[in-house]
Amino acid sequence: MSEEKGNADSKKRIDRRDFLQGLAGIPVLGAFALAALKQESYRRTRKAQLASAAVPQGDAAEVNVALLGVGAQGDVLLNSMLKIPGLRFKAVCDVWTEYNLRRAANLLKKYGHEVNTYEDYREMLDKEKGLDAVVIATPDFWHAEHTVACLQAGLHVYCEKEMSNTLEGARRMVQAARDTGKLLQIGHQRRSNPRYIFTHDVLLRELNILGRVVTAGGQWNRSAAPDLGWPKKYEMPVDRLKKYGFDSMHQFCNWRWYKNLGGGPIVDLGSHQIDIFSWFLGANPKSVMASGGTDYYDKATHEWYDTVMAIYEYDTPRGTVRAHYKTQTTNGSLGYFEQFMGDQGTLVLSESSQIGALYREKTQAGPWDEWVRKGYLTEPKILESKAEDLTQGALDVRETISPDEHKIALQFFDPYHKPHLENYFNAVRGLEKLNCPAEIGYESAVAVLKVNEAVEAKQTLYFKPEEFLAQGAA
Amino acid sequence: MNTKLLSTFQWITLILLRMIIGWHFLYEGLAKLLKGNWSAYGFLMESKWIFADLFRWMATQPTVLQIINVVNIWGLILIGLGLMLGIFTRLAAVGGILIIALYYVCNPPLVGLFYSIPAEGNYIFINKNVVEMAALLVLLAIPTQRVAGLDLLLAKLLQQSSRKKN
Repeated sequence: MSEEKGNADSKKRIDRRDFLQGLAGIPVLGAFALAALKQESYRRTRKAQLASAAVPQGDAAEVNVALLGVGAQGDVLLNSMLKIPGLRFKAVCDVWTEYNLRRAANLLKKYGHEVNTYEDYREMLDKEKGLDAVVIATPDFWHAEHTVACLQAGLHVYCEKEMSNTLEGARRMVQAARDTGKLLQIGHQRRSNPRYIFTHDVLLRELNILGRVVTAGGQWNRSAAPDLGWPKKYEMPVDRLKKYGFDSMHQFCNWRWYKNLGGGPIVDLGSHQIDIFSWFLGANPKSVMASGGTDYYDKATHEWYDTVMAIYEYDTPRGTVRAHYKTQTTNGSLGYFEQFMGDQGTLVLSESSQIGALYREKTQAGPWDEWVRKGYLTEPKILESKAEDLTQGALDVRETISPDEHKIALQFFDPYHKPHLENYFNAVRGLEKLNCPAEIGYESAVAVLKVNEAVEAKQTLYFKPEEFLAQGAA
Repeated sequence: MNTKLLSTFQWITLILLRMIIGWHFLYEGLAKLLKGNWSAYGFLMESKWIFADLFRWMATQPTVLQIINVVNIWGLILIGLGLMLGIFTRLAAVGGILIIALYYVCNPPLVGLFYSIPAEGNYIFINKNVVEMAALLVLLAIPTQRVAGLDLLLAKLLQQSSRKKN
């Protein structure tokens, strides 16, 4: 500390004390620099981790591809595939030659792919000899026949889910894949989604961030919508419709609602999420009970249930887990997501990148700061009671402290199906293993198709462990 | 200056206050600089109160926004360094007060104004910006830089050079 001195000259000279006082800020600046450098290094590591997780690897050896079924879902897959390097489209097949087939061929032409077009898949398999892989997006009841024929023709197959509308069909698909040694990827695309893989591999398996999971849940709410229509001038002739298993254009366009053709919303929507239950819990279900019905739409054109609620029970390596699932097609509020609740935290995850958070149970779980520093989670948002909430009623002593909300730091902005298709094509190139091979798709089909049975039976149905093994395909 | 006006402990607390505020400013600026793509856009667009139109207009003008971003980042860094090292301290304190005042009038916690960006606390009229402005006013009033800071050496050097000239 500088002090007053009697001598005026000495006051104006810089002495050792002045020097030390003058440089007092330097050590603080040094400490600041150390902290800032450390923080910056964490930030860069985190950025690099996220970037590497989001960018698929692999060389782009050209794969010759055919498309079988280019309706609404086939179009979604095609638009994803057009963003994947190293694909050469050779042929497209669709029974709706007037519309689907022409639209897909025109789109591919714009991207420089001259393709041969076919109405009948058998003609395509006969004539196209240079194919490596086929992507099948036909109605569910055609999957088994198309997949088996393509595998037997020596092609690797990507088949949309649901694998088949019958377990018998699904078993034939597994058998054909085993017999031919060709790859069969089933289109449960969340299995390749970087956020789902990161959540499963790192957050759940490596960190056990949720602790002992006891309950799970899922939902897909979709707004009411009119039946799908078609341009009258492109209508298919009745004899062709009959040839391919449809009674009318209405049934062709809305096949998902018809028994024997599709499986209804629980299969179209629920199968994605019920598949996640099995994957994340590491177990297939032990039982299912369900309630459902065509409560809103016309039963004549909506044979499958527009509203379904199901409750599964799982025997996991860590104990029983009960999971509920709901799908409804009359109100889209609250969207679609899966949730898992353990004694340490809650996970809410969705294919939609808007939804994806973890909630730490403050009374049970230790701090998650380390995972935030490592870039796995974002900084917590404190969920506290707002003043306006308190006006609704006094806090109850039975309420526990609000959990912290962390977002999953890994973001994913590509088309949802792209990573799963990339995984398939990289497997065709011998660079990766399939994320959803036939056996996994079969297990998922067993769990999902049983819901419709449980609705009919109006009682709890039990799974035998051997049901999941594609017996008869062995 | 007469340092005996305050006790050693009192000086230390005030110097500590200056360092802490300097640290805050410096890191706010540095973090934005390192982030690379930081922009004041969101903050300006969120503006409420009587200057809201002006701030939103600034956000929508690319050149103006670019200038605001650069001035804000480097302003924060230089003010932080000034306070921490005690160099041009009064200028840094005035700059700090002005820059925070701008933040305040852009998004003031006044009665009836609500923001979609969640705050980490609850405020009415007085928020942490006002507290930091008040602290800077104290530092403007009490020259801690003459006790600890490069301004002390600068003043002595200037005195020595003027004495030599005389």
